Amino acid sequence: MDDLLSDFLTETNESLAEADLALVKLEQEPQDAPTLSLIFRLVHTIKGTCGFLGLPRLERVAHAAENVLGRVRDGVLPVTPDLVTAILSSLDRIKLIVAGLASNGVEPDGSDADLILNLEAVSEGKTQQAPATSVATQPPAPPPTAPPHTAPPHTAPKPTSQEETPSVPAEAPPEPPPPPPAIEIPPAAEAQAPEQALAGQTIRVGVDVIENLMTLVSELVLTRNQLLQQARSQENSGFTGPLQRLSHITSDLQEGVMKTRMQPIGNAWNKLPRIVRDLARELGKKIELTMLGAETELDRQVLELIKDPLTHMVRNSGDHGLETTAERRAVGKPETGRITLNAFHEGGHIVIEIADDGRGLPIDRIKSKVLSKGLATEADLAAMSDEAIQRFIFRAGFSTAAAVTAVSGRGVGMDVVKTNIERIGGTIELKSRPGEGTVFTIKIPLTLAIVSALIVQAGAERFAIPQISVVELVRAREAGLAAANDDRETVTSVVERINGTPVLRLRDRLLPLVSLDDLLRLREPAHQHTSTAALAAGNTKADGTLTIIVAKVGASHVGLIVDRVFDTEEIVVKPVAPVLRHISMFSGNTILGDGSVIMILDPSGIARASGIAGASDGRHGGPATPTTLTGEAHTDKTAMLLFRVGASDIKAVPLGLVARLENIAQDRVETAAGLPVTQYRGRLMRLVPMSGHLDTTKPHQAVLVFTDSNTGIGGDRRMGLIVEEIVDVVEDTMNIELSGRREGVLGTAIIAGRATDVIDTSFWLTQAQPDWFDKPADVADGGSHRARLLVVEDSDFFRQMIVPVLQAAGYEVIGVSDAARALALRDNGQMFQAVISDIEMPGMDGLGFVRAIRAQGAWSNLPVIALSGRVSERDIDRGREAGFTDYVGKFSQEALLASLRQCLAQGVTQGGAHPPYPEAPSLRMVA
Amino acid sequence: MPDAPPNDATQHTCLVVDDSRVVRKVARRILETNGFNVREAEDGQVALESCRQNMPDSVLLDWNMPVMNGIEFLKALRLEFGPDKPPVMFCTTENDISFIEQAIANGAQEFIMKPFDEELLLGKFAQVGLL
Repeated sequence: MDDLLSDFLTETNESLAEADLALVKLEQEPQDAPTLSLIFRLVHTIKGTCGFLGLPRLERVAHAAENVLGRVRDGVLPVTPDLVTAILSSLDRIKLIVAGLASNGVEPDGSDADLILNLEAVSEGKTQQAPATSVATQPPAPPPTAPPHTAPPHTAPKPTSQEETPSVPAEAPPEPPPPPPAIEIPPAAEAQAPEQALAGQTIRVGVDVIENLMTLVSELVLTRNQLLQQARSQENSGFTGPLQRLSHITSDLQEGVMKTRMQPIGNAWNKLPRIVRDLARELGKKIELTMLGAETELDRQVLELIKDPLTHMVRNSGDHGLETTAERRAVGKPETGRITLNAFHEGGHIVIEIADDGRGLPIDRIKSKVLSKGLATEADLAAMSDEAIQRFIFRAGFSTAAAVTAVSGRGVGMDVVKTNIERIGGTIELKSRPGEGTVFTIKIPLTLAIVSALIVQAGAERFAIPQISVVELVRAREAGLAAANDDRETVTSVVERINGTPVLRLRDRLLPLVSLDDLLRLREPAHQHTSTAALAAGNTKADGTLTIIVAKVGASHVGLIVDRVFDTEEIVVKPVAPVLRHISMFSGNTILGDGSVIMILDPSGIARASGIAGASDGRHGGPATPTTLTGEAHTDKTAMLLFRVGASDIKAVPLGLVARLENIAQDRVETAAGLPVTQYRGRLMRLVPMSGHLDTTKPHQAVLVFTDSNTGIGGDRRMGLIVEEIVDVVEDTMNIELSGRREGVLGTAIIAGRATDVIDTSFWLTQAQPDWFDKPADVADGGSHRARLLVVEDSDFFRQMIVPVLQAAGYEVIGVSDAARALALRDNGQMFQAVISDIEMPGMDGLGFVRAIRAQGAWSNLPVIALSGRVSERDIDRGREAGFTDYVGKFSQEALLASLRQCLAQGVTQGGAHPPYPEAPSLRMVA
Repeated sequence: MPDAPPNDATQHTCLVVDDSRVVRKVARRILETNGFNVREAEDGQVALESCRQNMPDSVLLDWNMPVMNGIEFLKALRLEFGPDKPPVMFCTTENDISFIEQAIANGAQEFIMKPFDEELLLGKFAQVGLL
């Protein structure tokens, strides 16, 4: 009976999927007799067949559901949301039992008495809640079900689309329900008819058989390509004719096998109507789901991979995108929100759009969230377009729902969606207009097995770059170091160096460049760290040009310098061997026509490996703001800027402390009072050469700019630290050992595997302006006295980093290394205007510390700002619960100062040095 | 299966009409072990087409099927080929007693309740003189 059972499982699963869809449709069109009889038949068939297999549990559940449906069919019961929920929950139960059956071969133990009782009650027309154990969601506020006979079905309250809204808006005026106009028929239901007609001509084949065929065909394609290549070199061989035929047949065969793997995308959408229906009910919204292009086919492997991301996005659209019914009414929109899925072919890709007509992405909320998470600074945001800001939703840990619902906002969000889509060589973009809605556009290859790729050469090796990520090919001239600026007008693309990093200035955008040679070490570079300076030299051709492939990495671009570009080829993608899988720069390998095995490059892996985040989204006239490179603030890693002083001395500084990187032409370096200065943004800026003397022979000086101007406090002081060369930005976990007192050096850290000196910024700041910390440029709290702050931080390194920053901003700062000492200060009667505390500390941690502050004593109303390496939503929530006023990422200098300003300003407006805690602002924690 | 194999003169051919593969398979096993030649159809329309091409000796008929249900098939069959051949065995469940009357009124010879087993099915076939 084993194969009978497996037949039964297949058949029943198909029926269940179909029934789910049909039920959702029935709920919207209670009068739709064909849909009703379809559901009835499906349930009936399930019941009928389980008798043959001796499955009493299934039979009883199906029987009870069939009874209810029978009474609906006979016109005794109206279709109500409750009734549909009851049927859906019985289908869920059937699924559960079937799943148990599939894994164990026997019905799982369990009682369905509650469910059956409920179904019987519904069948008798009693108003009934879904049973507590039902898998289906409980209706939050079930509309009271009217007595069956007095309420005509089509006026029964429905949580989803109230009136019949066809997919074509022009036909929008509501029609009397029967007969139902042809709306979007769920794909599975639609598939029913053709399936019947073709039933005699279809067979079921195991997926493994098809996969195996595909592998064999791939091999055949490769062999064919090899043969063709060899034949080309032999004129007049007798093989030409047969070979051509072989070639054609192989192509046809390949196409044919590909076709067997194709499935309509509707298969991945099957579950969506049910999900949207449950979602609408749970959220009390009205949602209409329209699915267009469900018949669009794509490779089943791809289909499997996008199923989950799509489901997640549709949930997001319903949950975050669409407003509540009341909100929609208030802004004059139809109460029913629309989610539209649209799939179509474009080139070798399938494009899937997920559109909602909801509120659009809220820029302000995204901004405040970005700031609070330390993902970017206010200055960065100010320079960004709205689109660039919206794209932050693709960053890890980002979730905008103010209330985390059960539906979405589980912490895994759009970043996971984006990663999954990019993993299969796809892209995701979004367009959002406030008040009008959001459209996500996903573009993915039709198949993963064979892709179109550009073959390039770097060093002696060839590589394939998937065509989907190639934006354009650029032949650029390397700017002579001296002539660079003057030539810029006449040459379209010129490679320049900004801070030692080669960039391509391409139509107003700065494109970071990576040389494949260097990255993959195809040519043994003389010195690893300075190789960026010599970059491009090896790739430059005799005529002084460079070949650059502009590749797409997420929403940004990166330029890959290669030696040679060959042709575009259809390549068969083979997975990377397990030993190489950890190298993220390769996404696979392939065999070329000549038999050579080459690697397929993964541009996003390359961008990661080279530490380039890709060209920033906005258009920058000047150098890209380095702070946009700041890594994910929620990790324990810190972005460090590496630079060279003298010939080989590599030093580091936390990137967050550096305001800008500049390349200042020598002729702009002047001397004032015997000291080097430059005109910087309309004002003089003091320059301090780190090496001790200024090398005037260099055409440009690489300068790290430190400033307090972006703190907004008003000081606007700047200083430029001249270094030999900017080497890199590295993100690493920091293990810093404080040095013995070496001047200008804070300590030593292992960065990228090397012991590297971390400079003491406060020392260098005082080199520029000895009184930098003594006399605040302005008074921090706007009053006549300086605000006094307490910093509690166990790491000597971080404390020494932060205290000078705060002093520079004009505060009086006391630093202590643990909570006990801080509380001792309180008990001694010391007073501060605000407290800044680390979270992770030995002994009493930050959370315990803030609770102790809030519990009693003179500090109980002080603003207390948490400073942490971890800024996930959960951490922020925990921090807020414990009593922190605000939560700021470590090294997010601007965020900390902005937060302080806000907290203290609030205190001043409250008219006292003791800002009352409950009213203290906590804007950063909203969102 | 529209292209049915030619009837073995000594073998009865039974057309099993049911939308469930599982039910068709169960019936096929029982009937084949007992010397029947079995053909299958998954709805009334397919079954009618099959009858037009090659009339079976008997029909085992489910009633609730897509496209064309059992009663519709029965009506069409009797209209096209006369009132009593081939004999039709009508399958039903305890829920559909009312359909038995309808089926008999429309020309079914016998009815059988699902789930059936070998003994039950063969007994019914014997009653209509096919065994």
